[in-house]
Amino acid sequence: MEFIIRHKSIVAFISFTLFCIISLSVQSSTFTLTAEGIVSALVSPFQKAYDGIQGGISRIWAGFTELTEVRDELKMTRAKLQKYESMIEEMSEIKRENKRLRDLLAMQERVEFKSIPASIISKDPDNWFRTIVINKGSGDGIRVNMPVIAYQGGQLAVVGTVMEVRGGLSRIAPIISPAVRIGVKLQESRFPGLLCGYSGNSNLCKMDYISRAAFITFGDVVITSGQGGVFPPGIIVGSVIKSYALESSAYQRAIVKPVIDYNLVEDVFVIKKDLDSDLFKIFEEEKAE
Amino acid sequence: MILTYVFTGLIILISLLVQGHPSFDVLRIAGVKPDLIFIAVIYLSYSFGSFYGEVTGFIGGLLHDVVSLSPLGMLTFPKFAIAFVVGMYGRSLFKSNILTTSLLLFAASIVKGFITLFLCYVFNEASASSVLSIILPEAFYNALLAPPLFFIFDKIFEGELEKEGYR
Repeated sequence: MEFIIRHKSIVAFISFTLFCIISLSVQSSTFTLTAEGIVSALVSPFQKAYDGIQGGISRIWAGFTELTEVRDELKMTRAKLQKYESMIEEMSEIKRENKRLRDLLAMQERVEFKSIPASIISKDPDNWFRTIVINKGSGDGIRVNMPVIAYQGGQLAVVGTVMEVRGGLSRIAPIISPAVRIGVKLQESRFPGLLCGYSGNSNLCKMDYISRAAFITFGDVVITSGQGGVFPPGIIVGSVIKSYALESSAYQRAIVKPVIDYNLVEDVFVIKKDLDSDLFKIFEEEKAE
Repeated sequence: MILTYVFTGLIILISLLVQGHPSFDVLRIAGVKPDLIFIAVIYLSYSFGSFYGEVTGFIGGLLHDVVSLSPLGMLTFPKFAIAFVVGMYGRSLFKSNILTTSLLLFAASIVKGFITLFLCYVFNEASASSVLSIILPEAFYNALLAPPLFFIFDKIFEGELEKEGYR
């Protein structure tokens, strides 16, 4: 016994070697079947335990690998979501446009004059001059000096006049531009006047040449008079916010706030109305003089 | 010493799982996986002596045979035989450093490979091409992994080695 303990290494080596040789010999001979059964019975608990552990590890590992896949999928899904969100935005924009166009169509029916509907594609391209660019031009029958109106808040109001026409575009001078002059009158008192933009970059208009006899109050409605041959009569322009008498003049002046908010207006109607040819001739002659 | 057995058991178990589970096929280089059980056995033999190494080699080899469905003894014999030799002469031949552990594992793996080839030849079927396709790549792989694994094992068994007087 002492010999075995002292030389346990060698004893173990010999024992293990014998075990291996016998095992390998048995497995490679005809006796294998029975021996395999015995070995199988011996190792099956280990196999089962291993299978169990392996299965667990496999699931954990699968979890890790799937996590990467899930992360990738999440990235893809987020990208898709962004795309769909932008599509929803686009759709709602289309819906809004659709509604706007429907309203426009309904409005066109309400406009008594023969008109050309147009959308504003640009506003104030220059800082110093108030202009509006619309998507209709000479190809659509628009001519210089044609009046432009729009609906805002269910109310038909004056926008301005066409100052420049190109093939598919037109430039409109709004009534807040000092370059535009329109014959107007106070709706209530019927006193006439001449309306033009207050200053180059203001949103207000001034109504000049109002008789001193006129009693002007805050909120008085100003409408087109039809004089001058540009605008049909009776279209709302705005309301008076202030009035004062000019010292060196026989007239008084009213400051008018237009009904149309130029920041909000999107669609306009160009009234197909040519200037009265006789009046136009007179203007031209006056200009030449 | 109980902790040594526990750590040994755990190392063998983890090595078996890493080698046996297809999930770790990513470890394959040139079609071969490293023999982690063998590296562990060599370490234990080198650190704890011949007997401990060969017993671990025998048990680890048997389990390796079981999980790899090879004839019982085919992978067991080379492990405990080399563990026996390394346990006997390893410390006197190889000082523990990166180069020598790599060299030790490379040499041990080559010998193990040829023993396995011989056993295959005697008890099963053998092909000379295994030298190039299995023995050499595995030897290189084991040699490559030996230094980091030896370092990890050193850390694991540090206390036990000092307690048992192996250091």
